[in-house]
Amino acid sequence: MGAWEQAFVLVFQPYNIMVMVAASLYGLFVGAIPGLTATMATALLVPVTFFMPPIPAIAAIVTATAMAIFSGDIPGCLMRMPGTPASAAYTDEAYAMTRKGQAELALGAGLVFSAIGGLFGTLVLVVAAPSLAEFALKFSSFEYFWLVLLGLTCAVFMTSDRPLKGFVSLLIGLLIACVGLSNPAAFPRFTFGNTEMMGGLGMIPLMIGMFAVSEIIRYAVDTNPPLRITDKPLGNVFAGMWGLATKYPKQILRGSVLGTLVGALPGAGADIASWMSYAVSKKFSKEPEKFGTGHVEGIVESGAANNSALAGAWIPALVFGIPGDSITAIVIGVLYMKNMNPGPSLFTNNPENIYAVYLLFIIANLIMIPLGWWCIKVSKQILKVPRNVLMPVIMLFCVVGSFAINNTAFDVTVMLIAGVAAYVLEENGFPVAPAILGVVLGGMLEENFVSSVIKADGGFLAFFTRPVAGTLAALTLAVWFLPLFLRRLRALAGA
Amino acid sequence: MKLNDAVWGALLLLLGAVVLVHVQSFPKIPGQQVGPALFPGIVAAGLAVCGGLLVLKGLAARRAVGNADAGWVVFAPWVRERHYVLAFLLTIGVNVFYILAVNRLGFILVGTIYLAVLFWIFGVARKWIVPAAIVVTLGIHYAFYKLLKVPLPWGVLQGVAW
Amino acid sequence: MKVVTRAVGALAAFAFAGMALAAYPERPITLIVPWAAGGGTDATARIIGSLLEKEIGQPVNVVNRTGGSGVVGHAAIAGAPADGYTIGLITVEIGMMHWQGLTDLTGASYTPLGLVNADAAGVQVAADAPYKTVNDLLTAIKANPGKMKASGTGQGGIWHLAIAGMLKDLKIDPASVPWVPSNGAAPGLQDLVAGGVQIAPVSLPEARSLIDAGKVKSLALMSDKPSALYPNIPLLKAATGSNWTMAAWRGMAAPKGLPAEARDKLVAAIRKIAASKEYNDFMAQRGFGVIYLPPDQFATFMKKSDEDLGATMKAVGIVK
Repeated sequence: MGAWEQAFVLVFQPYNIMVMVAASLYGLFVGAIPGLTATMATALLVPVTFFMPPIPAIAAIVTATAMAIFSGDIPGCLMRMPGTPASAAYTDEAYAMTRKGQAELALGAGLVFSAIGGLFGTLVLVVAAPSLAEFALKFSSFEYFWLVLLGLTCAVFMTSDRPLKGFVSLLIGLLIACVGLSNPAAFPRFTFGNTEMMGGLGMIPLMIGMFAVSEIIRYAVDTNPPLRITDKPLGNVFAGMWGLATKYPKQILRGSVLGTLVGALPGAGADIASWMSYAVSKKFSKEPEKFGTGHVEGIVESGAANNSALAGAWIPALVFGIPGDSITAIVIGVLYMKNMNPGPSLFTNNPENIYAVYLLFIIANLIMIPLGWWCIKVSKQILKVPRNVLMPVIMLFCVVGSFAINNTAFDVTVMLIAGVAAYVLEENGFPVAPAILGVVLGGMLEENFVSSVIKADGGFLAFFTRPVAGTLAALTLAVWFLPLFLRRLRALAGA
Repeated sequence: MKLNDAVWGALLLLLGAVVLVHVQSFPKIPGQQVGPALFPGIVAAGLAVCGGLLVLKGLAARRAVGNADAGWVVFAPWVRERHYVLAFLLTIGVNVFYILAVNRLGFILVGTIYLAVLFWIFGVARKWIVPAAIVVTLGIHYAFYKLLKVPLPWGVLQGVAW
Repeated sequence: MKVVTRAVGALAAFAFAGMALAAYPERPITLIVPWAAGGGTDATARIIGSLLEKEIGQPVNVVNRTGGSGVVGHAAIAGAPADGYTIGLITVEIGMMHWQGLTDLTGASYTPLGLVNADAAGVQVAADAPYKTVNDLLTAIKANPGKMKASGTGQGGIWHLAIAGMLKDLKIDPASVPWVPSNGAAPGLQDLVAGGVQIAPVSLPEARSLIDAGKVKSLALMSDKPSALYPNIPLLKAATGSNWTMAAWRGMAAPKGLPAEARDKLVAAIRKIAASKEYNDFMAQRGFGVIYLPPDQFATFMKKSDEDLGATMKAVGIVK
């Protein structure tokens, strides 16, 4: 019996299928609750996997995380309450679609193209894992520095209608990222002597506050008659999706490729992938003016990107035991426990195990479509709940979700302050999404910059001389200065 | 509450300046060429520059025709209606109450009061306020405490914890 | 509002009446981990948590309180009510943070319950590096002070002290190997393979997958006992004569002033777990070193660890 046949036998056991279905429902549930992330879903699964054979243990994690990442889009879309930093990139877009009555289209696109992105990432995992992992391992702090800078540049593209205020918002995010002890000097900054502040301001409470709490405040003081959201059902969903797929094939491919590559880099995960894809999508769109008003194109591309990044993150984890993101960090521990030690030998000795993992990925992404569709149908009923009942309940969810991240009321305080601040800022035309990006990437930017300077003995030349770093540097600088240059050139030609 | 861009610019300039002064007190780290002051320093300088630009932009907007009498601060219409001011204050107030009271009173009591207050101010029918608040609180408690193992505090209900 | 107040009062009275003296433990226990989900400390806490659940017959919820390089979580354990319903897994950092002025907490701020694990630092270099032994590496460091960089944790973290203390013990200026701060062992090891740094003085279980993949080799172990995972790696003492040892340890602890009944029950349960087959199998599979010390010896151990770390930090110039 060949390795593939053995893998099939390992995967298609009744017990295993049962585990996958249960893990799917669990993942959908956890992901749909704001504040609970896919990482938490995985961590909570670990004690359960202690008592399972290897394949079902990995099956549980793979399915639960794929579902959780998708269902994180649901509260973002329906209630402007992103479940994960990855879905924060297109939360405003999806929420705008909901307000236009296109919730089903937005979520359906998120679902189907997430699955396609996930399958693409899996395909790359199957055919190119070892060589791609070798490449990813070559990334040092110099390369990461440029990558992060490129990611931050996205904020400027996303708010090109008001670049100055978008930039201010980004800077505020970067300043928030400075709070606490987690900086290269391990020096407590802006903590005011408070122990909780040493831990920094949490990403998830900030995000929940800035998006959801500010929206609830806006509802509380809205003097207009209550908004009635009517939802047009899509009819045949797959016909609708086929239409999108034929309309945006380039976007799907671009998102999937970018997502897999960024995901495979240890330390850069679904978050950066999804922000970059969204910005790329806007930049190269034929109708960039529609972005931000409830346009599905960006959701298609970044939805594909964040799920393919999830599969991409497994590449360095399986080949070298280097975690691609916080989820695979947990997975590596489980692999060791189950005697499937990560490393090149995982692919050569007993290959049926690794083939079984590939199959699990494929199955997880396929069953995501029907289960996710059912989940959309169920959760969409939320829109029928009167807003005056829904809004308080959402806010209590926000409170508990913020608390659950670290089990401290401090995070609830952070959420509240962020919410009020975001409400005031948005009233004054400052977009909040760039601030989230600043918080996500601020720490990485500083860390990689300082590490690089130490390694280069204080010199800056090394930021350009390593081949990959040089390429990324050229790309970043081109993105910044090319528009200026072209404008100057056009002006000259005109004159 | 809408502030003129020039006011925002001035606030950002101030923030940038305060941070810039504060980071001067950060130490140098042996073995690191750039200390912990550099990064926040650059960000603060950026904020100050953007603040300056906003001041110019705001003043220019005021000078533009028809805008000269626009106030530095424009209040949204809700500020003049008591109901909405109360709604605003309660929306924030219930969260403050939660933060201060949850460890002492416990999640179930605080959550019920939290929801009841908001249901009331948002105009839910009276007879539904308390039952709905209790049912939803118990539901959230079950989902987080039992299913997701989040240690929500019991507070005074510790003795009857289930 | 009056009605509400009265209702609260009545409920409170009812609740206190319900808290009769029952045998400990009568409700779930929270186990605080000062580090993120997915790391080695988290994994250790979760296996102990699930075994403790069986031992004492109440659910044990593992809760991560991360941030501030462990400060936040350690403070949360020390500051919890000393009733036996909140315990924690404390780590070597408790003997380091107070020297840096980040907290007033030390090992003495807890009721020790038992030391459960220790992993010694190894001296790892890239597999294609030209050094065959740790002495080759030391020669290269002496020949080109400042050229070789090391990474594997934050500034002033445990592995930073490991290499700095080793160099100092060997009469080499610790500044001749500048430290590149990283966000944990994995990014530091990745930078080692990427060629960004030359040395990663992290523990062997952390380096294990890259050692097995043939990307990294370990030249020496800063311990007085060979590793169970790689018995062939020479000890630092055998290779260089230096007596320097350094290990990251983890131990169970509770807030200070724990009632005797709860303490005795927990100490007995943890002793039993540390000797159990499940615990030892789990730790062996992860490559973690098992060591057990009862509470009094754990307290002495923490005190000594604290003094050693303080001396090293002063010598290296991390603390003035």
